[in-house]
Amino acid sequence: MKGRWLLVGVSTVALLPVVGLLLVIFWMGFWQNGPGEPVVYTLNHYRTILTDSFTFKTLLNTLGFATTTVVISLFFAIPIAWLVERTDLPGKELVFTLMAVGALVPTFFTAMGWVFLLHPRIGVVNRIFVDAFGLAQSPFNIASIIGMGWVEGLGLSSLAFIMIVATYRSMDPSLEEVGRVHGLKLFQTLRHITLPLTFPGILAASIYIFTIGLSAFEVPAIIGMSNKIFTFSTFIFYKMQPLEELPNYGVAGAVSSLLVVLALLLSWWYFKVLRFSSRYAVVTGRAYRPKLVELGRQGRLCAWIFLGFFFLVAKLLPFLLLAWAALLSYFQPPSMAALRQVSLRNFYGLPWDLMFAGALNTLLLMLAVPTLTLILCLAISWVILRSELKWRVVFDALAFLPHAVPAIILAIAAVFVALFLMRDFLPLYGTLSILILVYTISRISFATRIINNSLAQIHPELEEAAFVGGLRVLQVMRKILLPLLKPALVYAWLWMALLCYRELTMASVLVTNQNNVTLPMIVWGLWLGGSLNQAAAANLVILGFMLPAVLLYLMVGRRSRLEEAL
Amino acid sequence: MISVTGLRKHFKSGEQTVAALNGIDLQVGQKEFFVLLGPSGSGKTTLMRCIAGLEKPDAGSITLDDKTVFSASPRRNLPPEEREIGMVFQSYAIWPHMTVAENIGLVLTHGPARLSQSEAGERIRHALRLVQLDNFEKRPAQLLSGGQQQRVALARALAINPKLLLMDEPLSNLDARLREEVRTKIKKLVSELGITVLYVTHDQVEAMVLADRIAVMAHGEILQVGSPYELYCDPKSPQVAEFFGSMNWLRGKVLDKHNVETAIGRLEVDCRGKANGKVVVGIRPEDMKIDAPEEILGNRLEGTMAHSTFIGDQMIFEVRINDTLLTAKAMPDGKRPEGKVSIYFPKEKMVVFPDEAGA
Repeated sequence: MKGRWLLVGVSTVALLPVVGLLLVIFWMGFWQNGPGEPVVYTLNHYRTILTDSFTFKTLLNTLGFATTTVVISLFFAIPIAWLVERTDLPGKELVFTLMAVGALVPTFFTAMGWVFLLHPRIGVVNRIFVDAFGLAQSPFNIASIIGMGWVEGLGLSSLAFIMIVATYRSMDPSLEEVGRVHGLKLFQTLRHITLPLTFPGILAASIYIFTIGLSAFEVPAIIGMSNKIFTFSTFIFYKMQPLEELPNYGVAGAVSSLLVVLALLLSWWYFKVLRFSSRYAVVTGRAYRPKLVELGRQGRLCAWIFLGFFFLVAKLLPFLLLAWAALLSYFQPPSMAALRQVSLRNFYGLPWDLMFAGALNTLLLMLAVPTLTLILCLAISWVILRSELKWRVVFDALAFLPHAVPAIILAIAAVFVALFLMRDFLPLYGTLSILILVYTISRISFATRIINNSLAQIHPELEEAAFVGGLRVLQVMRKILLPLLKPALVYAWLWMALLCYRELTMASVLVTNQNNVTLPMIVWGLWLGGSLNQAAAANLVILGFMLPAVLLYLMVGRRSRLEEAL
Repeated sequence: MISVTGLRKHFKSGEQTVAALNGIDLQVGQKEFFVLLGPSGSGKTTLMRCIAGLEKPDAGSITLDDKTVFSASPRRNLPPEEREIGMVFQSYAIWPHMTVAENIGLVLTHGPARLSQSEAGERIRHALRLVQLDNFEKRPAQLLSGGQQQRVALARALAINPKLLLMDEPLSNLDARLREEVRTKIKKLVSELGITVLYVTHDQVEAMVLADRIAVMAHGEILQVGSPYELYCDPKSPQVAEFFGSMNWLRGKVLDKHNVETAIGRLEVDCRGKANGKVVVGIRPEDMKIDAPEEILGNRLEGTMAHSTFIGDQMIFEVRINDTLLTAKAMPDGKRPEGKVSIYFPKEKMVVFPDEAGA
């Protein structure tokens, strides 16, 4: 019995901070004055965000940005998913792998690449157009809502792709085949059968992507902030760390509360749609391969052009531009004159001491966060699926919360708590520990979902047999469950480690000094400080560090598990 | 109606290549009810999917109603929608987002027939009447029971007035009682409509009830084609014999045209040309008679009753003759013979094959 209560205890300890942080956010929104002063409560902040024109503009910006993100990511994800799942396109495995790895490329990386491409003043494409046609104005502007949505959408295409592939997989292919056999052309089958049947899945993916877009930080921070275009996340960030005035926790809290409520509503809708779409999912006993649409030579060519275009704009072009920028002391379009200035000066000039400190911190995070998360989530999953506890539904709901609450808000609440509530007895502010804790909390949903899915497939009798044989709960955990769950755990560990590596959103709030600086923060610091070319060089360096980890992930990770966690 | 020659199909699973169809030749006549029978993995569904155009064969040709729909050389492969067939899938493949009428109507209004709404409506009602689902038009597909889904799938396949109907294990998802009821209805319906049917199943009873002719398949090959009676009484190989029910097998040596020496003694059989060497003799349990009337002569052997079991409509006997255990079946008549019994082996019921393992 002792073991059982230990597991329940660990789960509670893991989930209580989530509730705590959420309450802190709502509480913050009613503070009249800064912390440290006597507390006065007010509704003014809510009045401000409802009446202030700047806040209203931010709201419109955020909605426009999130919508563009959804449109762009679906525009690429739906055709690519269809090509991979339903046609005889050669090299599908490669496409799948590239899409999965694409999800790991840091968004701040591509965002910087796109600034070099389409920035109204320095963007290569704009300069070429202006010079070639003698235009008075740059034709493209990445520093706009549409432009930022484009970049974010490209980044989230991978995620959308994985979700939509799952929708195709869960659909009985004979539903399409029976249409073809009875005389429907390919296009009619797509329109009357495939599209309506996959619509709920696509809608669910849209809501999911939209929710991410609402609270996305990296792209608006890299591209928008320096051009005074704010979305919710950068607005909150700005209120927390303004350049001139004091931090305004009250307004940040009020906007955050609003965003949390919005995100929770969207998540609720997401699960509703998902449940609806699973009614269409037919699991057939037989595993025959569906009839693949023959593309023919022309179709194949079109498919490759489409895929090529996607990988070009989503990954290759931003990468090439970053590489080019990294070799120059100031950015200019490629030319003979520019070529003569190419040097490795930016790499030599990097703050290497800081880089090493950042690398060490990042490595520690990559080791500590996935390990801690998995330990906590094993306990949570066990409580949800295996304990007879009356309250396990509550655990299930709480484990889902970190998924719905935007990461930047978790971080802000944590800073608030560390600075004003716990400073005297537990000095967490400005330490690596606070990063470890907040990163861990933010990954609880992901890890719980993965472990839940694997645990649900393990027959409880396997454990019961061990109990009957006299083993205790923790022994059963170690001897039976851990070995059976191992593939899922290894996969989740690697994925979370890689996410830690590229994490900038939470770091932007939590990192305050050299003691807890991370690699992405160094890049961002250089970028904010105006050293764009050095930032590009730093970016390439840290991407190089990431490569071995990605290769390890590809060797060990199986692609299907990511679908389970969404 | 269907003519398949030299059809081959390979599947790649990882590094291995599996031959799903190994040179299939098949002729199905006009208005024939033809069943492909075989265990899972025998290639029967692959063959049907090739005929439907859902799978592309590697070699051979398929002709439907004098129209070549597939040939490897010259290369020709009509897409499924141009083959003019009706098909019922094992999963029924009822579109869950539509009503019953929409399920049937979609292919009528958007397929090659391009019927108007009113024409399609007439056809839908007619098709539903055929499967006795009148007034089900407005019912959402998700509210249908398994049996109703099966009938809608059949109505959808029949609504396009196909000359050829393909059915892939259409009854395997129904419970046993419903299955018996539906198979008689299907048989009656298609013979009234005069369509050719190609039907896939792994259930030999279903095959025998439905089929005009059966092709028994195993390992991507056709073992034997024939009427149910031929296959049951005159199997051309031990596998086919086993497929249609259990068998007692006895190894033996041919003595002359009519006599084989086996472990249980000398049996009088019809060797039909297999007049030399080693053979296996097979007899079905239901053909062996325990304590048959005295007036029947020949092939009567003495044995001991080892065990008898009453299972309701049958008695199962296990009898021992010279250390060989044989199974016999009989209608229960209240008697449970014990000790010494006489067993009668009717000459005309026994099958003889060359003993490939012992040769």
